[in-house]
Amino acid sequence: MSEPALRVDIERRIGAFRLQVNLEAWPGVLLLFGPSGAGKTQTLRTIAGLTAPDSGEIWLNGTLLFRRGRPGNPLNVPAWRRRVGYVFQDYALFPHLTVADNIAFGLSNRRSPQAVERVKELVKIYHLEGLERRRPWELSGGQQQRVALARALAPNPQALLLDEPFASLDAELRRELRRELRAFLASASIPVVLVTHDREDALALGDTVQVIDHGQCLAHGDPLRVLGQPGQEPVARLVGVENLLSLRVMERHPLDGTMICAGQGVRLEVPLSNGRGEDTIMVGLRASDIILSPQQMGRSSARNQLAGVVIQVESRPPGYEIALDCGGTILRSRITGAALAEMGIQKGQTLWAVFKASSCFLVEGGPAPAG
Amino acid sequence: MIWPALLLSLQVTAVATALLFAAGLPLALLLARLRFRGRVLVETLVLLPLVLPPSVVGYYLLIALGRDSPLVQWFGINLLFTWQGAALAAAVVGLPLMVQAARAAIAEVSSTVENAARTLGASELEVLGRVTLPLARRGILAGLLLGAARAISEFGATLMVAGSIPGRTQTMPLAIYDAVQNRQYDLANQMVLIMTALAFLALWLVRQAEYSQGLSPAAWFRSALFRRRYE
Repeated sequence: MSEPALRVDIERRIGAFRLQVNLEAWPGVLLLFGPSGAGKTQTLRTIAGLTAPDSGEIWLNGTLLFRRGRPGNPLNVPAWRRRVGYVFQDYALFPHLTVADNIAFGLSNRRSPQAVERVKELVKIYHLEGLERRRPWELSGGQQQRVALARALAPNPQALLLDEPFASLDAELRRELRRELRAFLASASIPVVLVTHDREDALALGDTVQVIDHGQCLAHGDPLRVLGQPGQEPVARLVGVENLLSLRVMERHPLDGTMICAGQGVRLEVPLSNGRGEDTIMVGLRASDIILSPQQMGRSSARNQLAGVVIQVESRPPGYEIALDCGGTILRSRITGAALAEMGIQKGQTLWAVFKASSCFLVEGGPAPAG
Repeated sequence: MIWPALLLSLQVTAVATALLFAAGLPLALLLARLRFRGRVLVETLVLLPLVLPPSVVGYYLLIALGRDSPLVQWFGINLLFTWQGAALAAAVVGLPLMVQAARAAIAEVSSTVENAARTLGASELEVLGRVTLPLARRGILAGLLLGAARAISEFGATLMVAGSIPGRTQTMPLAIYDAVQNRQYDLANQMVLIMTALAFLALWLVRQAEYSQGLSPAAWFRSALFRRRYE
């Protein structure tokens, strides 16, 4: 792959918290995914030059923006010279300026015909026609977000940073704007770093995802793979994989690409691990991948069918989560409200949990043992 | 009797207000934005004229401007018993009000909004001129008006520093005192009415400046005058 447009390798201590970030970004959207307090916003502020790390380097398009504690002359380009656009979590629009003046703020020579033309162009791209004379407080959340985006992009920055762009919006607006933002960002020819703690945001918006927790970079890669079937235990816990099972390997079937494992009261067929002869493994399984059935399915392509007793029915909008006790191993399945009603699921009932071997994924124990 | 005093009062207040702005705004910025050693000391010193008897403030000024002061010794500038001295005294007494109000308004400007300006290519000076001061302008204006209102009604410190020379340093408050001393009650009544109208106008303007920010004048007065007690 070509040289990354943005390269960040920094370390910072804030009290007992240690932020250690190493990431590379190409034109396109890089997601920083992690819980609140993981160091995501600090990372953005560092890239923008609003705070200085203790040591490290930041490069943007071959230009050094920051260096300390590394070979070479130390350097800290001030924020206003970095040409890095920033969309803040609450948008931070200028309350004393109109929409048009907000967008024009970063343009040099704001009264020039070119500047006026540029503002007109952005107003059109971001569907803000007719709002030019309004003040920020007269706009809806979605409109404010578009103004913030237009304002950040007006001076043609070399990178764009977005901090939780949907945090202050309600769920419905979120879904709508996610689609809209995706379209805007798809045309971006610069690296875009977007911070979120929302899995849906991450899956909908990112080309690449970088998981961050406790100031450390964890998994990195395609959002569907990293967040859908996370291969590391801390990431799996972070994205909320509902079923994490500790199993013993019993038989290996290299020809099928599967192996048979045993847990407490269950035997499962799961994908074959990479040859190493370990005898205990951890397997992840998403609740939405488990089908519930009132009776055994007979012949089917699903390799795993386990009988269990319903011990909990919990509302998890937009569906329900059913916990089954399968001889000591708890399996959680997610079903729709319609399915719940139709099957008349109740506590104490016996149901069959059905899932494919390929829905199970192997999870490596993380550096920090859980619990 | 009325007109010379009134004109002199307006002249003294105009100069005092200019001094208030020139000294008060940098002080307010300093106190709102910088965390430095001795910040509390500076703040307390600036606030002191608010609680000291005006005669004490006047006495300090008398020493600072007197024959032995550097101002006289080195530059040959004598401000004692001049209207300029009266303006200085009025400015010193009005300063705490200006600084407190402006400081509060500047401190209230969101640092995120200032950071947004920085990421858009604004230097520190531009951030100040294009974001911080415009956003704090109502509080600054209110502080300036309040300081000016205090300056126009200055009596004690002015008397100590500039005396009460009719036509030269006798401002309205001093002229009223004189009129009452001389039992010229008609004259005193007229001047009292004028002063009350001026003070009312100034406070009404303060209210205008502040009210649009969504803070009631009473609450604002409390915070401006007694902020330190609540902290």
